[in-house]
Amino acid sequence: MKKIVYRYILAAVLGSTILPACSKMEEQPYGMINSRSYYKTADDARAAIIYAYSILPEVGYYSRGYYIITELPTENLTQKGDAGVGNFELDELRTTSTNPDLDNIWTYLYRGIARANAVIANVPGIPGMTDAERNQITGEGYFLRGLHFFNLVRMFGEVPLRTTTIDDASQIPIAKSPVRDVYNQVISDLKAADSLITQERISEGRANRPAAQALLAKVYLHLASSKASASPGYDFVANPDEMYALAKAYAEKVVTGQTAFALTPVLPDIFNIDIYKKAAVTEHIFDAAVDRSGDREGSFSKLPNMFLPADRPMTIPYNQLKPDSATINIGQGWGHFRTEPGIYFSYADNDRRKTQLIVSSYTNNGQTYQLDINSSSRPFTRKFIDPARIGDATSANSPIIRYSDILLVYAEACGPTADGYAAINKIRARAGIGDLQPGLNAATFRNAVLQERAWELAFEGNRLFDLRRTHNMEKVLVQQYGKVITSGAYFFPIPQRELDTNPLINK
Amino acid sequence: MKNFIARCSVVLFLCLPTIIVHAQQRKITGTVFDEQAKPLPGATVVVKETKTATVSDGDGKFVLSIPPSGKILLVSYVGMQTKEIPLGAQSDITVHMQLAPGNLNDVVVVGYGAVKKSDLTGAVATLKGSDLNRTPSSSVDQLLQGKIAGVQVTTGGGAPGAGATIRIRGASSLNGSKDPLVVVDGYPWGDAGNLKQINPEDIESIEVLKDASSAAIYGSRGANGVIVITTRKGKQGQHRISFNTLQTVSFLANKPDVWRDPVEDATFANEAAINGGAIATDVPYIGIYRPVGTGMVYFPSIAELRGLDPNKPKWPVNTDWVDLVYRHPYSQNYTLTADGGSDKTRYAISGNYYNEQGMVIKNGYEKYTSRLNLEQKLTNAITAGTNVILAYTKAYGQQLGVGRSRIWPVYDSTGNYFRNSNTDFGNPIALANQLLNKTKTTDVMGNLYVNFRINSWLQFRTSINAKSGNSIQDQYDPKNSTQRALDNKGSYGSISNGNYFDLLNENYFTITKDFGKRHKTNLVAGFSYQKTENRFSTLTGQNFVNDVMQNENLATASTMLISNSLQRFDLASWYGRGNYTFNDKYLLTITARADGSTKFGSNNKWAFFPSAALAWKAGEEQFIRNLGLFSELKVRASYGLTGNQGISPYQTLDRYGSNKYFTGAVFETGFGPGLAGANDEQGRTIVGGLGNNSLKWETTRSLDVGVDLGFLDQRLTLSADYYIKHTSDLLRLKTIAPSAGYDQQWINDGEIENRGIEIGLNANVINQANFTWSLGGMFTKNTNKVVSMGESNQVFIGTLYESVRQQISTYTVGQPMFSFYGYKTAGIIQTLDEGIKAGLTGVDAQPGEVKYLDLSGPGGKPDGIVDSYDRTIIGNPNPDFIYSLNTNLRYRQFDLSMQLYGVQGGQVWDFQKMTASRWLQRWTPDNPSTEYPRANGTRGWRASDFYLTDGSFLRIQNITLGYNLKTDAVKFVKSLRIYLSGNNLYTFTGFNKGFDPEVGENGINNGAYPRPRAVSLGANVVF
Repeated sequence: MKKIVYRYILAAVLGSTILPACSKMEEQPYGMINSRSYYKTADDARAAIIYAYSILPEVGYYSRGYYIITELPTENLTQKGDAGVGNFELDELRTTSTNPDLDNIWTYLYRGIARANAVIANVPGIPGMTDAERNQITGEGYFLRGLHFFNLVRMFGEVPLRTTTIDDASQIPIAKSPVRDVYNQVISDLKAADSLITQERISEGRANRPAAQALLAKVYLHLASSKASASPGYDFVANPDEMYALAKAYAEKVVTGQTAFALTPVLPDIFNIDIYKKAAVTEHIFDAAVDRSGDREGSFSKLPNMFLPADRPMTIPYNQLKPDSATINIGQGWGHFRTEPGIYFSYADNDRRKTQLIVSSYTNNGQTYQLDINSSSRPFTRKFIDPARIGDATSANSPIIRYSDILLVYAEACGPTADGYAAINKIRARAGIGDLQPGLNAATFRNAVLQERAWELAFEGNRLFDLRRTHNMEKVLVQQYGKVITSGAYFFPIPQRELDTNPLINK
Repeated sequence: MKNFIARCSVVLFLCLPTIIVHAQQRKITGTVFDEQAKPLPGATVVVKETKTATVSDGDGKFVLSIPPSGKILLVSYVGMQTKEIPLGAQSDITVHMQLAPGNLNDVVVVGYGAVKKSDLTGAVATLKGSDLNRTPSSSVDQLLQGKIAGVQVTTGGGAPGAGATIRIRGASSLNGSKDPLVVVDGYPWGDAGNLKQINPEDIESIEVLKDASSAAIYGSRGANGVIVITTRKGKQGQHRISFNTLQTVSFLANKPDVWRDPVEDATFANEAAINGGAIATDVPYIGIYRPVGTGMVYFPSIAELRGLDPNKPKWPVNTDWVDLVYRHPYSQNYTLTADGGSDKTRYAISGNYYNEQGMVIKNGYEKYTSRLNLEQKLTNAITAGTNVILAYTKAYGQQLGVGRSRIWPVYDSTGNYFRNSNTDFGNPIALANQLLNKTKTTDVMGNLYVNFRINSWLQFRTSINAKSGNSIQDQYDPKNSTQRALDNKGSYGSISNGNYFDLLNENYFTITKDFGKRHKTNLVAGFSYQKTENRFSTLTGQNFVNDVMQNENLATASTMLISNSLQRFDLASWYGRGNYTFNDKYLLTITARADGSTKFGSNNKWAFFPSAALAWKAGEEQFIRNLGLFSELKVRASYGLTGNQGISPYQTLDRYGSNKYFTGAVFETGFGPGLAGANDEQGRTIVGGLGNNSLKWETTRSLDVGVDLGFLDQRLTLSADYYIKHTSDLLRLKTIAPSAGYDQQWINDGEIENRGIEIGLNANVINQANFTWSLGGMFTKNTNKVVSMGESNQVFIGTLYESVRQQISTYTVGQPMFSFYGYKTAGIIQTLDEGIKAGLTGVDAQPGEVKYLDLSGPGGKPDGIVDSYDRTIIGNPNPDFIYSLNTNLRYRQFDLSMQLYGVQGGQVWDFQKMTASRWLQRWTPDNPSTEYPRANGTRGWRASDFYLTDGSFLRIQNITLGYNLKTDAVKFVKSLRIYLSGNNLYTFTGFNKGFDPEVGENGINNGAYPRPRAVSLGANVVF
């Protein structure tokens, strides 16, 4: 009996001691991908660039955050009374390093950079795909990184220039780079994109060659006008005229050098989802793309709710100049953004960008309601609507680069030349306000283009940067619209969280 | 019956040939019952004078011949107080035994073994299953409240089937689990909180391992303390069948403080709208129609509500929502048990059905559990046994609000549920009837063990333990029925599945050997390997064509969402314990465990947790004995390390995230660095995924000094402990530079300290045959402090409360955990001037608003502006101390027991502070209240001490009155006890009258599920 007992025990003890000896307690992950298992195949490369794009329509970026940062400080938008303190600081130009909205956009921009870095670092080494596709995906990665850094430098100025992937916490401390270095990176990234991407139009929501060229034109114009107007932080630019020439050259490639993008003749059509997403030729060169069938905000957009008043579901004529045209039901929103009287009254009464693209009255249950620019439910832009919305889920893309933007970049870069006049007058003609006064000098002409951009691109996140790069923050916002600027006029403060956690940030 | 007893007597006589029968002696018969009035077999019955003895039989009965000199009968049983019964003329004696609380020969179950109570060196508390209150409770967790010193049990409300939060000697982790480890019959099950699989009536004893010396044997899972549960086993020589039942009716313990009069309600609402700046047509009750859906809803005017409008009839609706939503729920509990044993076999089989109705309609919880316990002596050396538990639960329904205005009806004129706006989701009757919310769980747990007695001093035990279970939750929100339905494009349906499997192999040797008379040793050494796998999946459908199928065919939804995940982790452990006793006076215990876990980082795979304890039985020293004062005097001290695993699997590895992006025709899926997790206080997703190879467990160093005192032959016992627990290497999400593309990374740093005193006291004041009275009490004081948290001095935790637009709970260095953060206030502003002087502007400075204080500014000094710089630590929800008092009284067949439970100190953040009765006392120009603000519908409430209220209370937790029937009365019945039990009978408190002050660990009253006042009628029958 005892022998049997001992045999059992021996077996048990052996069994139990062998078990741990075999196992080093190594962890076998489940349901997740990481650096060990990824960036191996062509499909991995495709998924890598999709992931990089997917940051764009996130709530913190183009689906809300970007508009909060770029529109509230201007004369375009203010916010509802119970909005967060971050909104008020931006609206009243008294931003601090603890501003939650700035922290938000900073975070999302760098998340985008991390995703783009992963594409740039890994996709070129992936075997088993054509050079053309590998180049295109890598080029899109460069485009996205250029876009993020361009946004960063325009918002914050000197920022950490992260161009490698983070594999270990020891890589986290990094110093700020001068504005010049950031621009050099942006230009080199966008040039790489321009040379690597060969397609004119890949698909909705993806960057193509015209997008890279358009963004380069905007970058050069920003440098040119900043230097020309002595906007703070741009002393390093050697020659503004050289920059204007480069801006013109790249804008020209977009304006005349391709056939996929052009002006849409009728204003409401520009923002008609069915048209700009499906037509062979559109005005949307590059959008953060969404669709209402998505499963969460970020794959669909709730941006329209930010603009639409909260009172009741609204019905408007598709073309507000023709009250008897077909009506569309655009629902109701949260009334978070409120149109400021500044932009509203700056339009000429016959400017179609006001009469067609701003909603001042609507009907509900047969009853007509007028919106009062001084109330809590104000006239609002109809650039962001989706009549086929499902609940809060809309397909309204956030336009990042529009053809009319680049046409105006072209006009501004040209100056008061025949080409310059022709470009701006195309925009004015569509808006129904007639040609610009001929014979203006370069400065006056460029000011006129700037004002045209304010009307044409209102609520699309351009105005703040236009005012900054032309050294006009005080002149326009303070002198013309009576705002007070306490801080953050030309560059916003770097978020406190970065200052607290990046020991080299100020070294 | 007499025949029956006679027959038994015959059997007894045959069984006990040693008893000599003298013809001239008087013969008496009797029955011995245990503390639960169940027959007690095996009790020794002795005539004091002559030492003539017998033992009670399987039915607790005995027959004894009393010599003429016999005057007193002694009845004794291990673990029970010996009874002295003067012999009178009666020939049939009933003896009710009682547990001896301080009995030194009691065996206390500790990890991997058991020791005599007198030989304990660590801080271990014991509770017998029979000491648990007999109240409707789905799990044992709630029943531990107030029972054990050093153990704080809080329940967040009275939802059916709800568990409890258990903290042993305070909370000692920021992000890891704070729950003690539960070990059932030697099998570590996991975190305490809702031990639904064990029927409380199946519990023999509960041991709580509080200090490092006793908990270190559980190594990296011992830092929060360990609760060891031992289930009832069959007893040798006894075969019994018992049936227990408890029928309960419950009542609302706190009357909801809601508007009673529609006129007052409407007046307040209008006033709030006007003060809030609403335009005339937006004031609610002005007699107009407003569009809702495709129709219109009429909002009556105040005059109509009063019946004073000459053109309109008096408003006919006055809905009593409290009456419609709450009920007097009826709950049932039945347990049938058969247990017993022979010299080779012991068995216990039990089945339980539990049905608890919720206080609110259409809400309840049902549970079926069964248990089989079997042990067989295979040979003299080998014993094998098994334990199998099956459990099934079903929970349905949800909490419903009763604060809805009485002005509105339940149904509209067409018979549909009434709504007063498109986003009015507050009709509780609609919610109760429309929403589907049902969770079912099934658990199977079992073990198989073999014990080898190799020789007289060496044993080996090996066991295989397994548990597995699943839960399925069905949910459906019909079209436009809830905000969630709206957020999910109209309607929402889901099925959530959870599955787990756990397998454990334990092997250990036990050596018990004495060397000479003075040296005694007991050694345990073993190895275990545990594998755990948890699997989850959720299927969600958004926007259904209609509500007919609910969530039965999710593929018909317009959008389908799927998520699934699996966690698996292994734990390998070596452990050992040595007990050494010198001269039966000096005791030394050394314990250690080494744990290797797959969850730990590759640089830190193995953790080691040693501990040591010393005890001195001073009471055994001659010079103490000579005092004649102490029946026990023991001094204990222990020090050691325990751990907390606290990490979820895979946290040490780098993990990529995925996301979808729309490219014209379809959504495509992408992968890359940055794993989106939960949302932060601003609603932003937090990105992690950066690995950390060095991630490891949290380590708690604890010092415990204790003393056990017994007086008057243990009739009065006292146990007191002082402890310091210092937890370091806290698992913490370090905030990393956002420019890295990540927000957080798990690291180990930070420290927490808990120190405290706990005292347990028991007294048998009266101990006579027919009359006993005992008193017990406990006192626990714990002080908790966050010592450091790396780079941050403060982190916000918990929910972001929309009403105050911030998180209100914090971990702040130098403060207790869960400290409240916000503004300080000084009553109500009486004049605009006062408001402006206080640093407030605009509406905030108006008379009748809350006066927030300007405490600081950007420069660290008051700057004349009340803004976010003025927020500070304003309160602490941790109680100063908790205490309880138990008393038991028994007189002949009657018994009466009572438990009081009290919490002193600790603030409650009362979001429900402004109840209807308080709004009636609101500030108005005519009633310049300094306590309650004016009505203002658009007030931006700030997180402030305005909400804070003292949460102290003393509760009459339970009173039970029982009657033990004379068993001779009924045939086949060995014993019958019926009792009436009242639970949560009354609470003495200064807290908000409409609510219970016990609101959960973080001290936030957000209108929890009401805790019922329950009255139960119970019966225990033994056949």
